[in-house]
Amino acid sequence: MTATAAPPRSPAGTTSPVRRPRAPYRWSARGFALPAVLIVALLLYLPFVWTSYLSLTEYNGLGDPELVGLAKYQEMLTDAGFLNSLRNTLFWVVGTLVLPVGLGLLIAVLAYGLKGSFWYRLPFLLPYAISGVAVGVIWTFVLQTGGALDEALGVLGVTDPPRWLLDAPLNTLVMIAAATWQGAGVNALLFTIGLQSIPKEPLEAARLDGASGWTMFRTMTWPMLTPLTTVVVGLSIVGSLKQFDIIWAMTKGGPGVSSETLALTMYKDTFVENDYGLGAAVAVFLTVITVAASVLYLRRQLSGARES
Amino acid sequence: MKRSRILAGATAASLALGLAACSSGDDGGGGGDGEDVTLGFYTDKAAWEPSFDAMNEVSGTQGSTLDFTGYSDATAYDSFIKQSFRTKKVPDLFTWHTGSQLADLVDQGLVAETTDLWTQAEADGLVPEGLKDNYTYDGKQYCVPLNVAYWAVYYNKKVFADHGIEVPTTFDEMMAAAKKLKDAGVTPFHQMNIIFEFAWFQALLAGDAPDVYQGLQTGDASYLDPKVVEVMDQWKSMIDDGYYNDPGITTDPQTMLKNGDVAMAYFGTFLTGQLTDVGAKSGEDYGIFPMPSMDSASGNQMVLETGPLCVGKGSEHEQQALDYSAWWMSDEAQNAWSSSRGDVSFNPHVKVEDPELQGLVDQVKDGGFTTQQRYLEANPLPVYTLSTEIFGDFVTNAPDPKPGLQRLQDEADKYWADQG
Repeated sequence: MTATAAPPRSPAGTTSPVRRPRAPYRWSARGFALPAVLIVALLLYLPFVWTSYLSLTEYNGLGDPELVGLAKYQEMLTDAGFLNSLRNTLFWVVGTLVLPVGLGLLIAVLAYGLKGSFWYRLPFLLPYAISGVAVGVIWTFVLQTGGALDEALGVLGVTDPPRWLLDAPLNTLVMIAAATWQGAGVNALLFTIGLQSIPKEPLEAARLDGASGWTMFRTMTWPMLTPLTTVVVGLSIVGSLKQFDIIWAMTKGGPGVSSETLALTMYKDTFVENDYGLGAAVAVFLTVITVAASVLYLRRQLSGARES
Repeated sequence: MKRSRILAGATAASLALGLAACSSGDDGGGGGDGEDVTLGFYTDKAAWEPSFDAMNEVSGTQGSTLDFTGYSDATAYDSFIKQSFRTKKVPDLFTWHTGSQLADLVDQGLVAETTDLWTQAEADGLVPEGLKDNYTYDGKQYCVPLNVAYWAVYYNKKVFADHGIEVPTTFDEMMAAAKKLKDAGVTPFHQMNIIFEFAWFQALLAGDAPDVYQGLQTGDASYLDPKVVEVMDQWKSMIDDGYYNDPGITTDPQTMLKNGDVAMAYFGTFLTGQLTDVGAKSGEDYGIFPMPSMDSASGNQMVLETGPLCVGKGSEHEQQALDYSAWWMSDEAQNAWSSSRGDVSFNPHVKVEDPELQGLVDQVKDGGFTTQQRYLEANPLPVYTLSTEIFGDFVTNAPDPKPGLQRLQDEADKYWADQG
């Protein structure tokens, strides 16, 4: 039993005081991890490999896929509908960063420290318990032509209201508003947790130095919220890139393809058009940009946090 | 060491479970070869379960009943059927779509041939002329018709009476009625920008240039044909003149027609059932007339939609399912079906109880109508799919039709080039 390896070195080059575990322990640790690794490999990596393979084929869900190289990617990138979906997806990414995240932060900051702040936050949190499809149905009642909003505007004398769900990009914007209604509350909750975890002493010191209001928020609270903001923004980016249920329930991507996002394009190409190769190409594209956006953002944020 | 052993055991058990799951084949169920057999039946018409239950009471005397599984999401259903062909559990009977979707199944050899059944049914006069074309691939037939629907104009009788409008028999009369209604503040026609966005394109083109309508289905005609442009211009002028409801209204067509929010709705005869569901009475609240041809010189045209009932090739009860399919076309089965659904039957021997529907069937039979396939099933899937985008936008915004037609033609060119 001479297999005692040299202790690992930390990035700074100092010797770690932690001894490397003995070999039998390492093997049993790997054994414990194995079922989880197998499940992830089987349910996540294997389907991704299969989807990547399908994206190189012509396949209608019957018989065997036929290899066509990169033809499906070429078809995807030259399709006007795809570029429209890409634009709408970007709308969603920017829109959900500005609205649900911004509004969540605003609610959290305004309610924080107030007596009974829980009750201020609660109404914003309740829609989070509803499924996306139900949110879509509720908002369709509100926004359809002659719906609740048009009726309300009619009472106020607006006789020719905008066609909320029919005209692009207005239809995408109002659906982002619906997603905001659902998502702002949980972001507010997360930001509240962040606010509660900020140590009191630095804030107290800043207050003694005369900081208050906007200055206090900008120079003290906001920087100290960074770890939580990183999580909320990261979740928001990933969530918006794969947005599906609200859009499917409200417009099905229409009229035409005017409110379609990449997630809808992927679904329609695959299951409505039976072009599994094209749908898989969109899926791979969507996965790559989602992972790339997450990694780039998190790496930047976390390295920034380390430096500070 | 002990922990390692436990872990090894757990991993082995997990693998064994996985292998067992993978190797599970026949579930041991099924009806066997006994006299009475229960056929596994799958459909995307979940709402029709009571009608299929009613059919079981009739077919039970023949020794076959259906074990009903209904989907309400057509896309999920299509995906399920395709996947089931990759397993050992091929459905005995299932509903499907005519056109290229059925061609795909035939190409892969997944559905049982029904040529003999059709030959017998034609000899017995159980199917009308021309219906077989929907089920024919390379001279052989596959599946049998589950149902048919005629596409005709439903109208609100009270609205017509209030404005002194007679049932139109020509396109000009229908447009004159529309103008009168519009002037009186009533929306003349219903249309929608999803699901049936193609309806008015179908109605106008089939009646204006039936040869072009058929040519689009085979690649022999172009979407840039002057007749197609003429039809789109006509449709656009009707939208611009406010002859249709706002497509942003998501109220059901049956409710809008019953309430008089629209005076006429061009639909398949399946709308009768939906009107009954909202309490509208045939012959009292609403009537039906055939869509007049935009160009009367083209003759009377009737769009007929049909949905297939298919037998999975190699299914557990393939022969019994074929026997059931033969029985399905019989007078006994179709009388029961028509009575249960309150809808027309493809079987010419069957009389519908609804006088409006029967009147329509009689007109089609006696009025020298040429039968046309519905646009949805008749055209290649990629072209139809693009049309949902083009026509959906057209119904909503009535843009200049030419760019949309150009895109449709480009898609059609690509499709027919791929077909060689």
